[in-house]
Amino acid sequence: MAHNWQPDFEKLVDEHQSMVFSLAWRMTGDRGLAEEVAQDVFLELDRHMTRIESPEHALNWLRRVAMSRSADALRRRRVRGVDLWVEIEEKHGSPAEERQSPLETRLEQLLSTLPEAQRAALILRYQEDMTPEEIASAVETPLATVKSNLHRGLKLLRAKATTNLKEYIRGL
Amino acid sequence: MDFEWPDQPEKFDEFEQELKQAMERRPAPPSLKRRIMQKRSARRTERHHTTMIWWQRLAASLLIAGVIAGGFGYRQIEERRKGEEAKQQVLTALRITNQVLNNMNRKLAEHDKPENGK
Repeated sequence: MAHNWQPDFEKLVDEHQSMVFSLAWRMTGDRGLAEEVAQDVFLELDRHMTRIESPEHALNWLRRVAMSRSADALRRRRVRGVDLWVEIEEKHGSPAEERQSPLETRLEQLLSTLPEAQRAALILRYQEDMTPEEIASAVETPLATVKSNLHRGLKLLRAKATTNLKEYIRGL
Repeated sequence: MDFEWPDQPEKFDEFEQELKQAMERRPAPPSLKRRIMQKRSARRTERHHTTMIWWQRLAASLLIAGVIAGGFGYRQIEERRKGEEAKQQVLTALRITNQVLNNMNRKLAEHDKPENGK
């Protein structure tokens, strides 16, 4: 069945642009940079189209490359000496969050302050609804490390939320 | 590390539910797809252009190599022709010399005849 599937680039962009863009935005914390990353990811997909075997393969490939390109973009920024965290704080009030509730916006802000590996694990877990095994495969990291990152990340996020978002969340 | 990690969404606690809700996929900017398609098209045109340039370079190189080889071949043929021509001229000169010597021999022989008759 996988052999009969013919990838259609435009259709893949339509289906997955929101996923790729969201992963990149949450990883980089910068809308402009996320758009650049998303463009690069799809252009890379175009170069690899002959090797994509199925819709699932395309989805997993896009997730993996989006995470990896976002991490590269963050590294390049750090090398250039841009203070990313200050930038994230500044940019997270942009108009695209209009439809989000204040709690959701604040939670995303707190997420952006987590260490990169923990943030990546939580993004894939809660945005993409992936299991730890799937995350481990996507980011090519041992399962134990992924579970540890999820555990520590969630714990840290809870602690930050306890201090900053007490008025919003009952389950803390 | 000794902890249980829930794999099923229904096991999410209230905080995780909030987190999941906060982390829904964001819609991509409407212009993103257009820009991707434009860049893809530009890249393909560029790639095509680059390929064309390489083909043109290859064709020009082959043409130059052909001209050089042709010139070299022509020179060799011309040299051979000239050599052949020179050889023919030498042979002609030898033939003429031979003829002249034969004539001289014949005249000398005729000149010696009356002496022999005495």
